[in-house]
Parts: sequence; structure tokens; C-alpha cells
Amino acid sequence: MAAISSRIKAYLGRIGPSLVLLAAAVFFIAPILSTARAAFHKVPTILLDRHTWFKKWSLEGVRRAFDEEFFWPTLALSLKLALVTVLITMALLVPTALFVHLRLPKARALVEFLTVLPYVVPPIALVAGVAAFFRPNARWFLNSDFSLAPFYVVMAMPFTYRAIDAGIKAIDVRTLVDASRSLGGSWATTLRKALLPNMASSLLSSAFLTATVVLGEFTIASSLAKNTFATFSFEYFSRDAQGGVGLALLTLLATTALLGLMTVATRSKSRKAATVTRF
Amino acid sequence: MSALTFEAVRKTFGSNVALEGFDLDLQQGELVTLLGPSGCGKTTGLRIAAGFERADSGKILVEGADISKMPPHKRNMGMVFQSYSLFPNLTVTGNVEYGLRTRRLDKVERERRVAEVLELVQLTALGSRYAHQLSGGQQQRVALARALAVRPRVLLLDEPLSALDAKVRTTLRDEIRRIQTEVGITTLFVTHDQEEALAISDRICVMSNGHIEQLGTPTEVYRKPATAFVARFVGTMNVLPATISGATEANVNGTRIAIPAAKGMGKGSSISLLVRPEDLMLATDGLPGTVTSITFQGASTLVGVRLDVIDQLVSIDVGQGGADTLTLGDRVGVGVNGSNAVCEPTE
Repeated sequence: MAAISSRIKAYLGRIGPSLVLLAAAVFFIAPILSTARAAFHKVPTILLDRHTWFKKWSLEGVRRAFDEEFFWPTLALSLKLALVTVLITMALLVPTALFVHLRLPKARALVEFLTVLPYVVPPIALVAGVAAFFRPNARWFLNSDFSLAPFYVVMAMPFTYRAIDAGIKAIDVRTLVDASRSLGGSWATTLRKALLPNMASSLLSSAFLTATVVLGEFTIASSLAKNTFATFSFEYFSRDAQGGVGLALLTLLATTALLGLMTVATRSKSRKAATVTRF
Repeated sequence: MSALTFEAVRKTFGSNVALEGFDLDLQQGELVTLLGPSGCGKTTGLRIAAGFERADSGKILVEGADISKMPPHKRNMGMVFQSYSLFPNLTVTGNVEYGLRTRRLDKVERERRVAEVLELVQLTALGSRYAHQLSGGQQQRVALARALAVRPRVLLLDEPLSALDAKVRTTLRDEIRRIQTEVGITTLFVTHDQEEALAISDRICVMSNGHIEQLGTPTEVYRKPATAFVARFVGTMNVLPATISGATEANVNGTRIAIPAAKGMGKGSSISLLVRPEDLMLATDGLPGTVTSITFQGASTLVGVRLDVIDQLVSIDVGQGGADTLTLGDRVGVGVNGSNAVCEPTE
């Protein structure tokens, strides 16, 4: 009896992790598959049976989205915003993180805490406060589409600062800086030639994370009445449910592909370093 | 003219005084070692020379010119660090070229200098390797080549051997000395390893608590330590409790030993007599004791003896073959040659 129960236990121990993994996969993948069906299958759920299952599949919904007047302009704006946000993020956070590491190591915990704050402040509170200040004082700022970029820098900061910080921790910054300086490198040269190239993969991760935040952000863009890709998707969904769902699915796939690309890009770098034979 | 001068340099970190009244002169082509335990201020001194730290007061002069306020990248000093400092994104050649590019030298001159210094450190074949493809010793040799390529006025070496294993450390130590002599470059070398300091230096500056204890040749520092600190820090010292019994005489449990004049210590004062293992010998009429250990060290043998009356363990260098007839537990006598001994007053 005891032998049987221990065998059952062993069996469960073996398949247990697979079961958990399977459950998680179903939890995440099932909604995506349902979304895909809703986007590409023009049969209402109530009429689904073995006769209708294989009929009326088409990419029509998504194709309609591409034909929309605001599809390309809003996508272009979101991509431009992503680029500007990445540039501002790099220009602000890389020097900050380096400065904290080199000159203010004691302040590291505090800075890390500050960079997480945007995570706990709801975007709507942020935008309400900022709008209340800028509307009477500098309306031109809010009128520009690029007024969104500073918000996105702040919103992406919890992720981007961590990625940059990890990149700095992975190299011996102090020694590299001292080595470069002793060899005649100014601060600018040191940054450009000795530090940034050695933080490339963390900067890349940081840029991709920023881009995904920008492409998906809705609350602030909508509150400031900007036509970004996210606001267009929402508005389009309210007009054309099937096309909207298709568009959402495509966006999801595109950002997943971006993150996948980031993983591959950063991993192939570290693998290159790891597989070289030591002599 | 001195190649590098520290003039009354003082440096504090908060309430901690790292350097106090630090004066040091390096002659052209000389290798001076800053030797001391951790926290004695030796690395601070080197970093002040490099420009990474600013002295609170005092001056740094290179060939007579005050460079105290000059930023590090304008000082034209070559530096090798304790931790591996090669730029991981650059090849060996790229690393060596780094300082030449910041000086905007043309391609022909760059290639010539890279070839020259790589040959000097015997790494010509590894120019296209990256740092992670090199051993620790090779990395430090590239770092040395990189520092020398810019033809610095002074070479600063911050414990460049401490991350390496024993065998590589000795080889590279000798190689650094060979290259330094060959190039004739003034060098400031920092280490906590007294053996390394004795082997490599023209002069050694022994430091403790931010000040200089003794500045002298390796022989002077070893044979004639100026203070009890130097005596204890450099090499091995036996400590024998004694009393001063004359102007140049000490008494160790009834045995009279001739010593150098003990300044400021009157007859009858209690002292610790610090004696090197090679100044102790096995002698039938010496202080009686029992052999407790015999340690073969290749070129010499150390015999540990516990002295009977003063219950003190001493170490005796008996040279090669001097312990062949000894076994543990043997009764022996220990003779003392006090001519190089250091007297340390006991409290």
C-alpha cells in the first residue's frame, strides 16, 4: 500500500510541474486564440458548429483597418514618439545612473526608489496635474503631439532605469572610467568609447521596453486628445469590432516580436562572449 | 630633476586621514614601491598622483611643474590597475591603441607603437584577441602595454599582480622589472606584498596610517628597519622579551646580546628584541629550547623552536641542509646575532 502511494507521489512529482505549465499556457494562450478567431472568423459564437467551423475565415477585418484614414498617420506618430522617448530616456537616465554609481553610491537605493514611483502613481493623476499646470502657463506645450514624450519617459522609467542600472552593474565602471581617463580620454570620449559600447545590450533592452510602453499607452494620449496608435485602435474598435480585435491582435504580436527580438539580440551578444575558448 | 614629487600631501576622507605630510621624490627611471597594510594610504597616494583624487593640501610635481590641479586625462601618466581593466569591447590592439587615438596620432604611428609595445610584453601574436580570450596574466601584460604605448612621464602600478596566482605573479613581477629597466621609465608601484616590494624596487617607501615609516633600498628596509613597524611588516621577525643592560647590550633571560645603540631607552627598560630568522642560529651554548617544527622551503629550511624559560616560539633560518640531523622534540640551544636587531619598548 505504502509502495503504491509513494509511486503515485513520484508520478505526481514528475508530471506536476508540466501540469502547472500547461494550466498557465491555457490561461494565457486561450484568450489570444479566441481573439484570433474573433478577428479572422466571420461566424458568431452562437452559430459555431462542425459545419461552420472551417468556413468564412478571412483577413478582411485587419485589411479594413489598414485602409483606415488614420491608421498610418497615428502609427507614424506613435513610432516617432517612441523614438523621441527613447532618446530623451537615454540622454537623461544613462548619465544619471553613471553619476550615481561613480559619485553617489550611497544614493543608489534612494534613486532606485524614485524611479519606481511612476509605477505607483496612476497615469491619470499624473496627466491631470501636469495639464492643470501647463494649460494656463504654456498651452503650446500641451498642443504639441510631442508633449506626450516626457510623460512616456516618466512612465517607462521603472523599467528603463532598471535595465540601464543592470548594464552598469555588469561592468566594472569605476576601473573602465579610470583606465580611459588615465589614457587621455575626456569624459565624453570615455562615455562614447569605453562605457556605452559595453552597455549596448542593456541600452537595447531599455530602448525596446520604452518603445513597447509608448506603443501601448492609451490613458494619457486620450486625456490630452492626441491621435496615437493606441487611441486610434480604441476608436476603431468602437466602430468595427472585428477589425478592432484584429488590430489589437496584430499590435500584440508586433510588441511580442519586439521583445523576442530584444531577447535574441541581447542573448546572442552574451553567448558570443561565453562560447569563446579560453587559452 | 625629480621625475615625480609629492610635497606635504594631505588627504582625508571624512574624519579618516588617509595621507598626512606625505613627501616623496622619485628620480628619473627609478622604481619606488609604496608598501604597507591595507588602509595605510598607499593607493590614495597613487590615485592622487594619477589625478583621480584631489589632495586637500600639498602639491604633486612632475619634473618640477605643479600638476596638482590638472585633470587625469591631461597628466600623461600610464596606469595599470589591480582589477582587470581592459575594455571588453576592444581587441588587444584596440586597447593598446586607445590612448594613441585620444592623442590623435596617425595610423602609421599608431601601428608602429602598438607593434613596439606588444613585442615588449611578448604578446605580438594576440593582437586580435578580446580580453575574455586572455588569461589574467596576459590581460595585465596588455594593460601594461596599453599604459606604455602613450609614452607616459610616469608609470603608476596599483597592485597589478594581486589578482594573479603565485607562479604567474612571480613571472610577471620579473617581467615588469625587466620592461621598466629597458624602457627606463619612472615607476610608482603600490603593493601590500613585502616579498614583491623587496624583489622589484629601487627604493621602498613603507607606510602606515597615512605617513612614511621608512624610505630606503630593499636591503636597508630589510636589514636596518627604522621602526618596529617596518621590522614587523617587512619579512619575518622573532620577538624576544629582553631588558637593556648597557649602551649597546641587551639581556635575554641572562644571556647578553650585543645590539645597535637603543636610543632613548635607559638601562633596565623592558624591550622586545626583534630578530630575523637568519640572525638566529643553532648553538650549544644558546638559549635552551625544543624543536617544534621543521619547514622545508626549497632554498632554505625554517626550524621552529620553543624556548624554555621565556616560553617563546622562534623561527630560525638554518639555510640549506642545516636541519638534516634534527627531528621534532630535539633539545637545542639558540644563539642570537643582535647586530641587526630592533629594540621596541614594551608598555
